[in-house]
Amino acid sequence: MSASSKIKTSDSKASSETVAKASSRRSSFLTGRKGAERRFVFGMVTPMVLYMAVFSVLPIIWAVALAFFDYSARRTGGPILGLGGENPFVGIENFQKMTDFSAEKPLEVRQFHLSLRTTLLFAFLVVPLNLAITLPLASLIESVHQRMRPLFRNLFFLPVLTSAVGVAIMWGFILSPQRGLLNALISKVVGETTIIAWTSDPSLTVLGIPVSLFAVIVAYLWQDLGYNLIIFIAALQGVPQSVKEAALIDGAKPWQLFRHVTIPLLKPTIMLASVLTMISAFQVFDLFQVMTNGGPNDQTRALSIDIYESAFRFQRMGWAAAVSVVLFLIVLVLSLVQSKLLRSDWEY
Amino acid sequence: MLRLRSFRLPSYLVLILFSFVAAAPFVWTILASFKTGAEIRQSPPTFWPENFTFDNYRTILNDPDLNLALFYRNSAFVAFANVFATLFTSTLFGYIFAKFEFKGSKKLFWYILATMMIPAQVTMIPGFLILVKLHLLNNLWGLVLPAFIDAFGIFLMTQFCKSIPNDLLAAARVDGASEFRIYRSIVLPQLRPAMATLGLLTFMTHWNAYLWPLIVLTEQDKRTLPIILTWYSNQHSNQIHLTMAASVLIVMPVLFLFALAQRWIVRGITLTGIK
Repeated sequence: MSASSKIKTSDSKASSETVAKASSRRSSFLTGRKGAERRFVFGMVTPMVLYMAVFSVLPIIWAVALAFFDYSARRTGGPILGLGGENPFVGIENFQKMTDFSAEKPLEVRQFHLSLRTTLLFAFLVVPLNLAITLPLASLIESVHQRMRPLFRNLFFLPVLTSAVGVAIMWGFILSPQRGLLNALISKVVGETTIIAWTSDPSLTVLGIPVSLFAVIVAYLWQDLGYNLIIFIAALQGVPQSVKEAALIDGAKPWQLFRHVTIPLLKPTIMLASVLTMISAFQVFDLFQVMTNGGPNDQTRALSIDIYESAFRFQRMGWAAAVSVVLFLIVLVLSLVQSKLLRSDWEY
Repeated sequence: MLRLRSFRLPSYLVLILFSFVAAAPFVWTILASFKTGAEIRQSPPTFWPENFTFDNYRTILNDPDLNLALFYRNSAFVAFANVFATLFTSTLFGYIFAKFEFKGSKKLFWYILATMMIPAQVTMIPGFLILVKLHLLNNLWGLVLPAFIDAFGIFLMTQFCKSIPNDLLAAARVDGASEFRIYRSIVLPQLRPAMATLGLLTFMTHWNAYLWPLIVLTEQDKRTLPIILTWYSNQHSNQIHLTMAASVLIVMPVLFLFALAQRWIVRGITLTGIK
């Protein structure tokens, strides 16, 4: 009767988990109450595991395998997943090509370098800009009357709910050279007609960063800041009122309160929000594709665009898979940092 | 508290200024959708429509190439099928992971959580090749089947299921309820608020999805709304007034519904801190 069951539940005789474990040892394997539980669990988990083998494990292994082949879906290739044969194994050649910094490097390598730079620039610009807006905005919202807070919060969160394609089209129109709102406003201020092609003039750069990239950053910030805003508002509500009052009684100015009390108390949340924002910034596709489609002159060709174009436009799936593995490694490192941040204990 | 009140007026002013920036793209788009083509081409542009017109909407709704009802139906099918599948698998496996221990259960749970770290760009190429093998290209099921198991949903539901008292489950077992019956009649009702949040987030994700549908759906009449919007916008790049009206028709109605349900979506984000 003491089948070494691994199923743990509480039954009629026991309510706490420890006692339940002891009682489960007394049951037989597939009959009786415990047997019914086991049948239920195995009946449900087995199809799930089979499903995940096809739709989760296989794609991951396949993606890594593709990175070591010169693969195109147009060629039949070998018997296993179409690898081999016309789609030959090339070892680490794809990754070796990535480190080719010579002048004669192939186009796809040049585009990879460009897109890695673009994505790094994008992510490292988006995070500080996002925090610089969302942190003060969150404490501003917390400083106004309680009834007004949801109103502002909901308004700033609305873009998060909007489809990225819609956001890209709306911002494309605002930044449109002849008919856009931004140029119209600038013309009003300057006093003469100003036509700036924000998303399509390759010669426009600020500090070596293309203006078209800033255009995507602005649209992305506008769409994405609602997330961190909500996370920071929740964190601010967790800061004890007594701490703030103590600082004010000691004569702290609002700015000092924000700088020396609020920010340090929110530090763990800020760290976490930064990593999460960066992870998603590395994967942005929709906005880039619809707003600039990587242009002008590949200036906004993000890694996600590079992977998509290589795989589905130029049918270089092996190469695209290798680039996607690079993207994965970047995100993996960031995720490990994130889990480290999550695990540490923080107290006020 | 007096001090706190003293800096409220500047707070309001800054917030209202920011509100204008936040609302501007919506307002600008909606206003443009009521302008005539001639007015749109005018430089400098007008803010309020000079000749307020519904013609753009009439043009779009009568455009034989833009069967909006069909595309709404495609998007709705994909979104609802995904919500249904995600809610079912997430509650079921959330319950199993929270309340049962079986060989490898911890490893399986951690594997599912770990898959959340993998960017969509990594699995999209083999995912596409799998759909080719299954003959699911240009099939709306191709947007549902690969998303049956949702790692985030299982994580969320596992957290919620942990708070269901074991006594409640034990009592049902004494009464002779089958295991599936316990899941359906005891566990599911307890998870209702979490299901509302997860359902909304899932609906939103799939309603707004762009990259995967772009790869899977290449036939025009199979496409979902976001792809149709970019297609229409590219077709009418010189008629911004039409594109803006199309954006309003395609983006705004569901955005309005999301806005009404915002409380639940916000709750999901603050509860998990995951996007």
